[in-house]
Amino acid sequence: MNLGDAKGPQVTIRSIDHERKQLSFILWNCDLAVANALRRIMMAEVPTMAIDLVDIEQNSSVLVDEMLSHRLGLIPLTSTNIRDITYTRDCNCAEYCQNCSVVLTLNVRCDSDTNRDVTARDLISTNPNVTPYFSSEEDAGVVICKLRKGQEVRMRCIAKKGTSKEHAKWSPVAAVAFEYDPHNKLRHTTYWVETDALKEWPVGPNGAEEVAPGPDDPFDYKAKPEKFYFVVEGTGVMDPRDIVEKALMLVHAKVVFVVQDLQKLKW
Amino acid sequence: MNNNQPDRHELFLIPEGMSKVSMTKDSKIPNAATFTILKEDHTLANLLRAQLLKNPKVLFAGYKIPHPLEHTFVLKIQTTFETNPLEVLLIEMQTIIRDIMDLNKKFQNQLTLHGLEGGEFGGSRMDF
Ligand SMILES: [Zn+2]
Repeated sequence: MNLGDAKGPQVTIRSIDHERKQLSFILWNCDLAVANALRRIMMAEVPTMAIDLVDIEQNSSVLVDEMLSHRLGLIPLTSTNIRDITYTRDCNCAEYCQNCSVVLTLNVRCDSDTNRDVTARDLISTNPNVTPYFSSEEDAGVVICKLRKGQEVRMRCIAKKGTSKEHAKWSPVAAVAFEYDPHNKLRHTTYWVETDALKEWPVGPNGAEEVAPGPDDPFDYKAKPEKFYFVVEGTGVMDPRDIVEKALMLVHAKVVFVVQDLQKLKW
Repeated sequence: MNNNQPDRHELFLIPEGMSKVSMTKDSKIPNAATFTILKEDHTLANLLRAQLLKNPKVLFAGYKIPHPLEHTFVLKIQTTFETNPLEVLLIEMQTIIRDIMDLNKKFQNQLTLHGLEGGEFGGSRMDF
């Protein structure tokens, strides 16, 4: 075992951009599998809130009920205090209750001669911790549908806790940028090329972080990726710092859960 | 619903009477076993496989997801005679646990270093 391994995985934060909800960091001295597990968990297993059931009382808009329900489901709901809410599948109630859900009502009628936009601003939440996300005071909110004079939407939306491996609406991230080996030294990528890859392909955004190989350098077939450049961009429902933190806790919990069961077995 | 869409719970709930992990010793190869882990995917499977392969006592470690609609994977391990697959799997999982705990600590240190601390585990993070 070499000394580099003994220290274990390392992390270096590069920058945080609150306005764009982006956290940029480097994971190094680390296995591809660990980096990839972290990436996958941030995208698919960090729980958030999203509208999951819709009771439609009235819908005379041009959009059909299913379309409207789908659009409601995709609205980002603030999930900073997600720990206070349980999953319905772990809850004692039959369908939904206060402990496992938040009710949002949408009640809009257009009485003017001009069309009325129904937006996420019209959703009234029963829980101040779980409301539609707005980037600023001026943010008009996601448009749900448009109403003409006399049209009306009246519905109860039930938001539940869930993860994105069930439905992408629960994902806390808009994107997780993930790059390693910007100069393709490991040859994990094959570039489509006319004549010369170096001339035709731009260097990756993290190219300056690593030394480019010389044209005559031999291929190191034993080399492994060890530096991973991440940019976590949240949807706004959760701070990107929390997303990373929670993802790490989730990898931990996952392994611990299996270990507990494994310890009951005998060889 | 009268279609063949899998039930939503099938992603998470371990069926009654079944355990998260089960082990079957290989009947022909010495010091080899197959572990079946329910309700997990590539995230954990590849993590375990990669960690096991770092151990010099592991002769073989590989995983597969037998069916794309079933949230289960099987992990096959063969070791040298000094140890056995169960022991080695437990040891390597402890290593992962340690590494992740360590990584979380380092992440917190980095946040402090950049003046970005005070998150969910320190206070309320409602700044946007
Ligand atoms: Zn409930």
